[in-house]
Amino acid sequence: MSSTRARTKRIAALAWAASGLLALVGGCAHRPPPVQPWQREHLAKRGMRLDMPDELLEDRFRQHWYGAREGSDLGYGEPGGGCGCN
Amino acid sequence: MKTRVPRARALRRALTALGLLAIAAGPARAEDTVTLRGAYYREPSTRVIQPMVEVERDSPTGWDAKAHFLVDTITSASVSAGTSADNIFTETRNEAGLAVRKRWSRAELVGSYKYSAESDYWSHTMTLSGALRFWGDTARVAAAFGLSLDTQGTRFRTPECAKPPSHTCPLDTTFGGVSYTQILSPVWLAQVSAETAYLDGFQSNLYRLTAFGYERVPDKRLRNAVALRTAYYIPELDLALRLAYRYYFDLFPGQAVNYDGDPWRLQSHMVELRAYRPLTHDLTVRLMFRRYWQNWAANFWTTMIESAAGPVTSVPYYYTSDPKLTHVQTSYPEIELVWQAEALRPVPVLGWLSAGTFTISYGYYIQSQSISPGFGNAHVLQAGYTMPY
Repeated sequence: MSSTRARTKRIAALAWAASGLLALVGGCAHRPPPVQPWQREHLAKRGMRLDMPDELLEDRFRQHWYGAREGSDLGYGEPGGGCGCN
Repeated sequence: MKTRVPRARALRRALTALGLLAIAAGPARAEDTVTLRGAYYREPSTRVIQPMVEVERDSPTGWDAKAHFLVDTITSASVSAGTSADNIFTETRNEAGLAVRKRWSRAELVGSYKYSAESDYWSHTMTLSGALRFWGDTARVAAAFGLSLDTQGTRFRTPECAKPPSHTCPLDTTFGGVSYTQILSPVWLAQVSAETAYLDGFQSNLYRLTAFGYERVPDKRLRNAVALRTAYYIPELDLALRLAYRYYFDLFPGQAVNYDGDPWRLQSHMVELRAYRPLTHDLTVRLMFRRYWQNWAANFWTTMIESAAGPVTSVPYYYTSDPKLTHVQTSYPEIELVWQAEALRPVPVLGWLSAGTFTISYGYYIQSQSISPGFGNAHVLQAGYTMPY
């Protein structure tokens, strides 16, 4: 019973977070973008790119051993696994 | 199991052919790259060596392709890898993957397939993902959906879950995720993401023994993670800082067999900080620190400990001796150097490497699990070279 209540609370929290995100996106749609193309010099630097290809490859290797040594997974775009290292 | 070999070979051949096709298609552009990487992981009882190659080809038509191949060579001699005695063994895992992307001016769609094989584990993963940029290209929404079909089996015994005449057990994973990235200022961006994966099938380790026999863990698991990432650049210091946080929780969907309550209930927190700073015009250093906390995972673990401490009056339905399902804390400091190899241009023979980038990193993985023996600390070395072609 208590686990059902906890699950319901968790789902409600996720629903609130999703609503907040939608509200944020909706609100932003009526305002000018905060950064113009000519202001993006710093955003092109290595440390500011969340999708740097070689860093993604490093992260993939890290995720592999994190998944084998820690009980959690996810948060990197695709579940780990594909191996018998559970 | 025997019928899998030709099928696996055929898949590998098909994948190779597709990869070659993708590479051959279209004229080269500056975004086309070849990456070679090597990774080395060493802890007291386990050593992993992983060479890999990845080729990316971007076409002006908007169709891009990426293919990779890697080999994991794992040498292990302890319970940490699933053996019950000090048998040293070496296992090899081959993985090949192909991704095809279609780009439009503000959107993209990616389909990918990955095949992984070792002597007792085979996995097929299909993923479809899409992204949309809007609001003057300062916002990006992405979503991914995927399916992983895994099979495991061993020559040494028939697992309980195998239905004769089969000697293997399936594990199906369905996963999905969404992310939203926003540029907040000329020096600041942030990303929020949520992912979930539903696992249905055999999730035990085939070799891990407990006081009650081979481990038995629930066959269903719903894994969830929400993550926040932000990057901030300080022009005065020429320093980029990146902070990431992930909260993870899992649960058993529905009612577990012969168990009152939820047998999983694992929760964890992860914080990671990265700092990037150029040392010279072609050399950049990255410092990273990651900290991870995880609670004692499941009630079935506690049940086993209590039973093992005193006379066993009844065997619990689920039991395991997996160290990673206990209370876990890890820390990981790492340093990486990134070198744009322009200085090699006048050097004979090596000059053709000058268009590429070398990376090398060293990290020390500090682990603490609540049972002994745990896994022990690990040295991690990675090196790579990426070259446009």
